[in-house]
Amino acid sequence: MAQLTKRGLIAAVVCSDTFMKLGTAQAKVFGVPDLPLLKIQHPLGGLNMDKVVERASVALPQLLKVVKEKQS
Amino acid sequence: MSSLASMLQTPGAMVECDDDPEAVFEYLCAKGWSDGLPVIPPTPERVERMLSFCDRDFDKPVVKIPPRFGAATPIRVAANAVMAGCKPEYFPLVLLALEALAEEPYNLYGTQATTHPCTPMLIFNGPVAREVGINSGHNAMGNYFRANAVIGRAVRLSLVNIGAAIPGTGDMATAGTPAKFTFCVAENEDNSPWEPLHVELGLPKDASAVTVVAAESPHNVNDHESITPEGILTMVAGTMANTGSNNAYYAGQPVLAFGPEHAATVAKGGMTKAQVKEWLWERATIPLSKFSQEGIDRRFRRKLAEQFANAPLDTPVHMWAKPEDLIVIVTGGAGKHSQYVPTFGNTRSVTRALKREDGELVRSIQELKRG
Repeated sequence: MAQLTKRGLIAAVVCSDTFMKLGTAQAKVFGVPDLPLLKIQHPLGGLNMDKVVERASVALPQLLKVVKEKQS
Repeated sequence: MSSLASMLQTPGAMVECDDDPEAVFEYLCAKGWSDGLPVIPPTPERVERMLSFCDRDFDKPVVKIPPRFGAATPIRVAANAVMAGCKPEYFPLVLLALEALAEEPYNLYGTQATTHPCTPMLIFNGPVAREVGINSGHNAMGNYFRANAVIGRAVRLSLVNIGAAIPGTGDMATAGTPAKFTFCVAENEDNSPWEPLHVELGLPKDASAVTVVAAESPHNVNDHESITPEGILTMVAGTMANTGSNNAYYAGQPVLAFGPEHAATVAKGGMTKAQVKEWLWERATIPLSKFSQEGIDRRFRRKLAEQFANAPLDTPVHMWAKPEDLIVIVTGGAGKHSQYVPTFGNTRSVTRALKREDGELVRSIQELKRG
């Protein structure tokens, strides 16, 4: 995602709340401190489809907001 | 060569605190620079002494350590080696291990940040391991022996302090492993019936080398009854085959560390290392039916679809991809025990020989002493 951002594409990372600190630190390390992190509830793995949809419904509005902001 | 004195003038290079041992320990813990155990204060004098066995520029990065990708310069690594309790002659082995860890196949980034409880297992071979006193006899994977304790500890401190593998932010291990304090052994070459690991991998016998493995803690194989190779290997295979192991999904290169007595029985029965690997690969398997239904449906049928999409439930799941991927060493003292060391899976072991700056193999650690 860092590479995509550096190439000028709109990119974001889905990140569970437990991993936000790691995600934020890594975005800085890779030179894209403003890389949007789409925060969802942990865990991301081991979910049934209902829970996956639930996580996606939380992430999607955040993604749309990022896209709108970047395009404006 | 950069001068150590001038490096220490860099802003932030030095900190001051009360020189009482407890005050120093409190200070370093508060800074997050310890592993939770007391450390030796890395004073300029001690760091300089540590660097007396360093043939590199003190401020030139040897490697970069993820997830921060911090520059592991000799001076920084030396500070961590002092804190760990290293003798200066251990220092080249700490640097060697870090160089091996930074090679791409090891996947240091993944192994540092993962939720899996893996840590670098350092396996030393050759004369330098003996010279500096890395234990390969009784309790080789345990406590008591300084070189084993502090070389592994210096590597771990470097991974944390330079690489920022800090629990909860850079090291996301769910529970971790006690092996994260140190996991450093030497192969018991004198009591092995086979060629040592570094020779098997193509190095001369008198070379000194480290092999790094992204390892879990060792799992014991107790077998006081078997007197044939097949008997002992049956017990080993049973210990290797467990459904919760990363190796069942991601392959990788697990380690079988024979105790010398088990190794002798297997070798006297006529088996070479290659035959041991082949035998175990065929038998250290789990039928697909032993995994959870969700595991079968979601992982084996989908993620590993090439092999298991339509596989019958009695299909054997091998614990590593190819027979030769198993690493076999001999270590420890008397007794009817061997150790199986599973790994992170998505990682390859890396072996590096200890060399001088001119590229020649080091036969004695004293060759690296300055001046």
